[in-house]
Amino acid sequence: MIPSSFDYHAPATLAEAVALLGKYPEDAKVLSGGQSLLPLLKLRLGQAGHLIDIGKIPGLEYIKEEGGMLRIGGRTRESALERSEIVQKRYPILVDTAKVIADPIVRNLATVGGNLAHGDPGNDHPATMLALGAQVVAMGKSGERVIPIDKFFLGLFRTALQPDEILTEIRIPAPVEGSGGAYVKLERKVGDYATAASAAYVVIGTQGFVERAGIGLTNLGPTPIKATAAEKYLIGKKPETAALAEAARIAAQATEPSADRRGAVEYKREMARVLTGRALKKAVERAGGK
Amino acid sequence: MTTRNVGQPFVRRDGRAKVTGEARYSYEVAVPDAVYGVLVTSGIAKGRIVEIDTSAAEREAGVLAVISHKNALRLPGEPHLEGPDRVVQALQDDRIRYSNQPIAVAVADTFERAVHAAMLVRVNAEVAAHTVRVEDELHNAFPHKIMAGGKLQEPDESHGDVAAGLVAGAARVEEAYETPFETHNPLEPHATVASWSGDRLTVYDASQWVFAVKKKLAKGFGIPPENVRVVTKFVGGAFGCKGSAWSHVVIAALAAKQVARPVKLALSRHQMFGPVGGRPRTRQKVAVAAQRDGKLTAIRHETVSPTSRFDVFVEASALQARHLYASPNIESRHRIVRLDIGTPTFMRAPGESSGSFALESAMDELAHRLEMDPLALRLASYAEKDPADGKPFSSKSLRACYQEGARRFGWEKRPRTPRSQTRSGQFVGMGMATAMYPANFAPAQALARMLPDGSAQVESGTIDLGTGAYTVFAQIAADELGLPFEKVRFDLGDSDMPEAPIAAGSMTAASVGSAVLVASRALRDRLIRTAIVDSASPLHGLAPIEIRAEDGRLVATSGKSDSYVELIRRAGGKPIEERGKTAPGDEREKFSMHGFGAHFAEVLVDPDLGTVHVSRMVGVFATGRILNARTARSQFLGGMVWGIGMALHEHSVFDEKLGRIMTRDLSDYHVAVNADVGSIEPLFLEEEDAHVDPAGVKGAGELGLCGAAAAIANAVFNATGKRIRELPITPDKLL
Amino acid sequence: MDLVPLTTPSREKLRLAFTVNGEPRDLVVESYKTLLEVLREDLGLTGTKHGCELGECGACAVILDGELVLSCLVAAVECPGRSATTVEGLRQGPELHPLQQCFADHGAAQCGYCTPGMLVAAKWLLDRNPRATRGEIAEALSGQICRCTGYLQIFDAVEAAGRTLRGEPAPAPLLPSVHRGSTNGR
Repeated sequence: MIPSSFDYHAPATLAEAVALLGKYPEDAKVLSGGQSLLPLLKLRLGQAGHLIDIGKIPGLEYIKEEGGMLRIGGRTRESALERSEIVQKRYPILVDTAKVIADPIVRNLATVGGNLAHGDPGNDHPATMLALGAQVVAMGKSGERVIPIDKFFLGLFRTALQPDEILTEIRIPAPVEGSGGAYVKLERKVGDYATAASAAYVVIGTQGFVERAGIGLTNLGPTPIKATAAEKYLIGKKPETAALAEAARIAAQATEPSADRRGAVEYKREMARVLTGRALKKAVERAGGK
Repeated sequence: MTTRNVGQPFVRRDGRAKVTGEARYSYEVAVPDAVYGVLVTSGIAKGRIVEIDTSAAEREAGVLAVISHKNALRLPGEPHLEGPDRVVQALQDDRIRYSNQPIAVAVADTFERAVHAAMLVRVNAEVAAHTVRVEDELHNAFPHKIMAGGKLQEPDESHGDVAAGLVAGAARVEEAYETPFETHNPLEPHATVASWSGDRLTVYDASQWVFAVKKKLAKGFGIPPENVRVVTKFVGGAFGCKGSAWSHVVIAALAAKQVARPVKLALSRHQMFGPVGGRPRTRQKVAVAAQRDGKLTAIRHETVSPTSRFDVFVEASALQARHLYASPNIESRHRIVRLDIGTPTFMRAPGESSGSFALESAMDELAHRLEMDPLALRLASYAEKDPADGKPFSSKSLRACYQEGARRFGWEKRPRTPRSQTRSGQFVGMGMATAMYPANFAPAQALARMLPDGSAQVESGTIDLGTGAYTVFAQIAADELGLPFEKVRFDLGDSDMPEAPIAAGSMTAASVGSAVLVASRALRDRLIRTAIVDSASPLHGLAPIEIRAEDGRLVATSGKSDSYVELIRRAGGKPIEERGKTAPGDEREKFSMHGFGAHFAEVLVDPDLGTVHVSRMVGVFATGRILNARTARSQFLGGMVWGIGMALHEHSVFDEKLGRIMTRDLSDYHVAVNADVGSIEPLFLEEEDAHVDPAGVKGAGELGLCGAAAAIANAVFNATGKRIRELPITPDKLL
Repeated sequence: MDLVPLTTPSREKLRLAFTVNGEPRDLVVESYKTLLEVLREDLGLTGTKHGCELGECGACAVILDGELVLSCLVAAVECPGRSATTVEGLRQGPELHPLQQCFADHGAAQCGYCTPGMLVAAKWLLDRNPRATRGEIAEALSGQICRCTGYLQIFDAVEAAGRTLRGEPAPAPLLPSVHRGSTNGR
């Protein structure tokens, strides 16, 4: 049971939902898939006087390519992402990511938007979205705005979303010739948060040099980490073993893990290096580089 | 005796109820007018309750009572029994002895209201300094007799000159090993439903031993034991933690008495860490030495484990060193220390599972030092008789287990040196270990009843933990009575039935099985006697020895026969019943009785991530007679998978500052999940053991876990060259 | 959990009209209940089990509008108008569903407490993917904990049920080899 009662709202439109959030700025929680929210409420780590269920609002679940972007509705289930043909064919990094989120049953309700909006550095999509250079669309009372993903994660459980804003869409640049990405996660067991995980995305030009690189890291600091120094290092390099290893080493330096039951600081940093190396290798392979 | 049913792999009798959702576990039994109890537990590890404010909780709608030490009924007796029982905290005083100790219970008309009320209770406690670290109390370590295998055993035992033996060997290993606190975590949380009618108490409890619950409650409430009835028809896993009636059981009965309504009380998952004990941590030291040919010149096994301040449990990790390998010099020592924790308790293969990790790891280290095959080392010191006292084994097929296991597993392909074999980028390693667990046996009773329709009803108040009791005891009775399996119903789980021992320690099949056998045989003999004195029976006047039971009839050697239906009809149409009881006899003094086995494990270790995957396990076990290969296989498979969990995952981590377990849920307390399980093959070498017990069985529940973690740890060494002496083997330890 | 006092909760109860195992149900529930508690307490359908309350064990799995979900992580207030299938709804009449039969035959139910969740998850899998491979079965059940069996019998049972549902001959339950051991150990 949820140890406190709440008022339940099931708005029929986005505008209504935003209005409700505006009405209860201190005391409302958005119920998307509920797979993180319900445990929090049950453990009383969070409280909600008002639960705003956005599940009855039509048009928030979709996966489509449009205008050079992959557009994912904020309430799209992880399982839908995992099963989507277009994602399987063109965005294997998203399949990598979705497949290691919690466990299959949780993924049937958990949503992509929720995974990002929760602001949990242990969640898996943030790193991938950082690597891909995604954008997040937020709807608030003053309308819609687009937030670049690298401006989205502000702190532990803190994002750029305003209290009255709802994450409605994620936009990912469509793959170009020579691009590839991969997400590699180390977890203690199925369903666990990452001990460490790394997302890598590369675009390799026709001459065989890296033109773009994105690296995101999971659960290795108070926020999801974009390993910018490592990304920069790779630009203009041939994606060969030594360069990838060096990029992985630089990426690991960007981490600020804390010691916990998943391991000590040094161990996690080392895992960040190993996993980034593996993610880059796989990304390069997918880009056709090997 | 014909054995048409025993040995057949019949499908579990209770399977249908379980797959349809109809099986009602204790909490689900419908009891009219029941209200709900929810425990309030302590947030500190040690101290005294100065003030407990229940007023806000009591004001809530639907709340019947909030019971703490301030207003709890004073129990007229001490709810504690001799033997494997635990001292409980039933709201009788203001002392806080461990974190998560029950300190109050909120009772309300719905579960939700009770939870809510429990959350409103405010406690002001005087905090005392605590320690939950074994290291802090080592200077106060002391020996204590060990309750194991139904008898008290000495903490220390020694023969020969171990010090000299250790020096005499060509190679020696002296190392320290550790196993962590573990928590049973059956899927079904503990639950009790208590209902009073005057001074008679009925309890539905998630229990492994209804008779202990009954006696304990009778003692605590000062009522005759016959006034208490305890019922347990289905248990959602137990593994030892439901072998004792913990505080919540007494509190449920107390609350029910106080509010004069039946009370249902279930523990939340996090309340299963502390208020219910787990396996204690062990710090062990093993010294083994051997000659060049592998003959052991000495074995020394010492262990320290913690218990609570108010009760004693000894994790008897060094017991097996007394019996496992031949050596002229063997010493074993057990010490315990007191900590501010809830009392630890027996958890699947208590002693042998934790102890075998140390001893069998040390044997592997010794083999490595001698540059000898680990299996050859074990064979070189194969004990033909029990090294502790020279008694013969009632049966022992360990050598054949080693041989068959090595063959099935492909032991000869074991990499000779660590880090020498890889498969898809991962190191491959193989390891083995011996399994040993005593063939326990305790007094048990059963009743067998022939019904007018020619079917039999057999019962004993034992428990089916998912082990197969409902099924295998019907098989035994069917053979004794000459009935097809379908014509015998076996019922259990009620303290109004004939008394059975705790369903634990791998002794249920032996003990209850033997009682069922004796009762059924007595019933058959009585039916035979009834027939031969009945002038209307075709068997009238024959000698009993000429008559056997077959296909629902009594059949004479001459071919004449009489059916049970006819026999009972002529005898007045009433059911005919007999009771049977068994108890350990002289044979137990003459023989050493153990089940044995050999584990072989293959692991794949990621060189950069340190992750371990157990790709293959083969276990060969010799444990007397196999009553039902299907249910026995499940027991061993489950035991071996517990070995994977023990080797790689399970760990109740204490926050030493707060004095409590941090890993209080299933996302932090990891058990083996299906991704951990590769190919696992348990197989049996069936033994005919005429000495061990009338049923000829040596037990199945624990043996599959004994040695399993060591085999995996030894395989990890073979893969990586890293010897991990502290479980669990997490990836960080391998880097 | 640590006890945190909170203000009086007495928000309004909510009407919950939905379908369970094909039967319409109409009741009034408190907003703080999860679907799991409504099923077990209000409707007496105790087949769905309560193992951890936090979505970690899978014992509470049910099918909701065709999707496999953890009923302990679904608020009852989300359920009006929806349709739930629990273990009690697998069987049509006295005949067991092939999955139920195979679970019983293969010893996939041991203590039985994880069994309803496993069955419902397996049903959902086979409904969507009648030719699920062993790997897909393991993946689909990867979030569910069994503490007794060692999992292999569960995979075997789901595989066998898949075959039965496809009209193919199902393999007999696996039994270990039992050899005669010597009694003297020589």
